[in-house]
Amino acid sequence: MSLNLKHIKKKKATNYFLSSLIIISAVLLLRPLAATENYHVVSFILLFIVSILATFMGTGPVLMASTLSAILWNYFFIPPNFTFHIDKTEDILIFGLFFIIALVNGVLTTQVRNQEKLVRDREQRTNALFQLTKELSKASGIEEVLKVAVGEIRSHFQTDSFFILQDGENVLNNTGRLQRGKKLTPSEYNVAEWVFKNMEKAGAFTKNQPAVDTTFYPLPGAKVSPGVVAVKLKEQFKGDQLSYWDTFLAQISNALEREFLGEMAQRVRFLDESDRLYKTLFNSISHELRIPVATIMGASDSILNSTNPVNTQSALCNEIFTASLRLNRLIENLLNISRLESGHISARLDWYDINDLINKVADDLIDELKPFTLVIDVQEEMPLVKIDFGLMEQVLYNLLINSTQYAPPTSKIMLSLGYANETMIIKVADKGPGFPEKEIRHAFKKFFRVDGNKTGGLGLGLSIAKGFVEAHGGTISVENLKQGGTLFSILIPTEIPDIKNIQEPDYE
Amino acid sequence: MNEEETILVIDDEKQIRRLLELTLSASGYKVILSVNGKEGLIDAATNHPSLILLDLGLPDIDGQEILKKVREWYQKPVIILSVRDSEEEIIKALDNGANDYLTKPFRSGELLARIRAALRSGNDVSDSSEMTFGSITIDRVSHIVRKNNEILKLTATEFSLLLLLAKNSGRVLTHQYILKEVWGYGYIEQTQYLRVFVAQLRKKIEDNPSKPLLLITESGIGYRFGE
Repeated sequence: MSLNLKHIKKKKATNYFLSSLIIISAVLLLRPLAATENYHVVSFILLFIVSILATFMGTGPVLMASTLSAILWNYFFIPPNFTFHIDKTEDILIFGLFFIIALVNGVLTTQVRNQEKLVRDREQRTNALFQLTKELSKASGIEEVLKVAVGEIRSHFQTDSFFILQDGENVLNNTGRLQRGKKLTPSEYNVAEWVFKNMEKAGAFTKNQPAVDTTFYPLPGAKVSPGVVAVKLKEQFKGDQLSYWDTFLAQISNALEREFLGEMAQRVRFLDESDRLYKTLFNSISHELRIPVATIMGASDSILNSTNPVNTQSALCNEIFTASLRLNRLIENLLNISRLESGHISARLDWYDINDLINKVADDLIDELKPFTLVIDVQEEMPLVKIDFGLMEQVLYNLLINSTQYAPPTSKIMLSLGYANETMIIKVADKGPGFPEKEIRHAFKKFFRVDGNKTGGLGLGLSIAKGFVEAHGGTISVENLKQGGTLFSILIPTEIPDIKNIQEPDYE
Repeated sequence: MNEEETILVIDDEKQIRRLLELTLSASGYKVILSVNGKEGLIDAATNHPSLILLDLGLPDIDGQEILKKVREWYQKPVIILSVRDSEEEIIKALDNGANDYLTKPFRSGELLARIRAALRSGNDVSDSSEMTFGSITIDRVSHIVRKNNEILKLTATEFSLLLLLAKNSGRVLTHQYILKEVWGYGYIEQTQYLRVFVAQLRKKIEDNPSKPLLLITESGIGYRFGE
């Protein structure tokens, strides 16, 4: 700061020196006119020079130039020469007028110039503010607003700025956003916290805690204050610049507050949503868990405490077994949905024989499928497909289980697989009641269950199937068939393996 | 059972231990129970069980580590019984020397079948040139495979695949292992070869190739061979 002042003083001194030099050299050049009758012309020339000087020098040097020129004109040109004495009355008048004109001319010109500079500055600031507002309104998200703010502050105030935002619960985050790696020292954080609480500036150049080398300004807000900004200033903001800075900050603060409120509203919405989900989940899980547990408890208790005939006992054991399968399926589905939700699902693709997949699923569901006729139709010359076996197994399992829960006993459940245009096509059709037209678009939603269905389940199976199909980059759709029943269609893009060169002759 | 086989169960869950003890005893096995890894290692060394049922999630030592330690000297079958069901974990256990892997919850019938298959393969260390699986007979010396006494025409690769699987019957072989053994190191990623040859082989050896009983697929892991 002291360096800066010296620099300004030096500049002023040169201006004084320069203006005197110009006047003195002009006087020296005009010396030959001294003895002639044309010494009045000299006054005009000097006046001209003074007004020229006024266009680029400050008031001080111009005042000095006008005084100096008046004195020198008097001394060297007004007869008698080399005296300050003036003989003629008209010369006294002219000298007086010269002095006044030089002064007025110089001062007015500089004033006009200052005014002009002020207007220009204002215009520049208005433009800058306009630019800032435009950029801020374009920015979406707190990070982007901060980026714009830091950039604009740097280009208009030549200083780095550092925003410390609150966390949404009126506590400042210790690490500011943006400018990664930069952290506040504990003492700086204390000042920032004080500023945030009192909504008053503090730090360097202020009356509050001036010992810190950073200045902290509160970000004003209509409803909530987004936080505090820290800047390292070379000198204090004064007058016009201070109000400019305040306006600048208000704009940034506005934009931040806007983003902030947006974020908070979103958080509230999210909480509402998860609250609703939690309730649904809780209700259906407790129901879904209790039924099989009740079956297991009741059936095993009955086996333990009575002398039932053997066939009753084995029927009870059967119930226990079914209940445990149901519990296991529930757990499996809950685990899968949480894997999907957490984004941990990525398909690990490898070549598979689709018949293996069908066999595995049909085998796993052998008990559930017993009351139905499962018709499997695999296209002839079905190529190997690149899939995640475990995920696709779950998809088919869930679709078939879904069909067994809705289709009437002894009806056909169709499973067909084919390949066309680098896409594997899987279709599962049943002769169940189909989805109510109004609700079919919700079929793959989590926890969705057709109204009034008595088959139970959490309503996760289909949404898991959808998630796993999508993990393969595929699509799944559902439609009601005209002749009755539901049709699920899965399309999964897959390549065909290059196996032409692996055929070989028989060994014997 | 013709002779009493001893099975060592290493599992920290009391209920599972009790269930296994009941199920295995009822099937005529002698059962030793260990509640943690340390105890399990001692029991394995002192009792020389015919088979070990090992849980992976033990409180003191991870099951995979126990498996590695046991495999330093124990040649008989080890079957993993665990709730961990990720393909990585299963393949790791098989690479560490487990013969088979069953995830909890499991069906007792399935477990007993796996134990029988593993014990049978464990006992079949004889160098007899002929191996029989149901209607299939494989002659290792003459490389002749018969189904119901009729000679099957197999390609060279089909035969090496069949021989590898048969020598390790009752054991789950991972895709990588089979590819490495039959085709060589450079083919470890070429699962499509394996699929094609398994399908071809099934057409020749299985009664119903679309419902295989001998060459069984282990989803995402590999294959097992056995009746």
